[in-house]
Amino acid sequence: MVISRRALLGTGAATAVAAAGLGGAALMHRLDDVARGVGIEPHSEPDPADDRLIARVAADQNALLARVEATASKHKGLRLDPFVAISTAHAKAVGVAATVPDIAAPPAGRDVAVRALATAYAAASRARAADSGKATSPALARVLASMSAGLAQCAHAVGDLR
Amino acid sequence: MTSTEAMQDWLALEHEAVWLYPVIGARFDALTERARTSYGQHRAVRDRLLFRLHRMDIEPVPTALTYDVGRLVTKAQALAAVRQVERDIAAACLTLAGESVGELRTYATAGLRRAALAELTWAGRPTAFPGLP
Repeated sequence: MVISRRALLGTGAATAVAAAGLGGAALMHRLDDVARGVGIEPHSEPDPADDRLIARVAADQNALLARVEATASKHKGLRLDPFVAISTAHAKAVGVAATVPDIAAPPAGRDVAVRALATAYAAASRARAADSGKATSPALARVLASMSAGLAQCAHAVGDLR
Repeated sequence: MTSTEAMQDWLALEHEAVWLYPVIGARFDALTERARTSYGQHRAVRDRLLFRLHRMDIEPVPTALTYDVGRLVTKAQALAAVRQVERDIAAACLTLAGESVGELRTYATAGLRRAALAELTWAGRPTAFPGLP
């Protein structure tokens, strides 16, 4: 019985597991267990193109998470906690990187840092919307479309922090 | 669910939004301007959905006489009601995104994004996965 982890992505189970604080391989095993637990129908073998898409999205979202965390750490007065939480949920849904990605240091100026973050969220939102269009699995398409909308909200709300 | 059914569900919610925003705007002076803008946006989306369904030779779902959106006595209740309809629209768009491909999926994704941003306009907060349960 093959259960794609993507069988879960449209169910909210991925979000629940993400909230439980799991990542990487542990996440995939846990998702399989959760799938059996909630009696989700087995899915067909994952599409290789979808797997490549997920890997690329994971790299992108992990870099964005690192960027938000770096900005939050440099500008502690900015109240970026909700954005760190959202980016963490996004990264966990597609797979958390084993190592923190290399990113440029956030801008020293507070306003410049906020603008840079808003721009990064907006770019990620556009990229996930385009990725959703490329997904073969309907569940993956939905997760990426939803992620794109969440990122658009972040771009908007971060911009309001100034 | 087929993509047509998902479009009909979305249209039913746009009918509801087109009904709700004028009610909110008329009852709460402080919300009138915003409600007018939202009304215009939803009317435009409703018209585009009607056009799409007619083009596919499908009879669109009709409007209801009224909608159960809970009590609308306080401003907080009004804000909660509009956030709920925007959340429902986001969920309907997300279903359509999964049930469609190509241009229709792109259209549904744009609708989802619009609903997610509308929630912020009405005092909502960002969430990781708008439209997902």
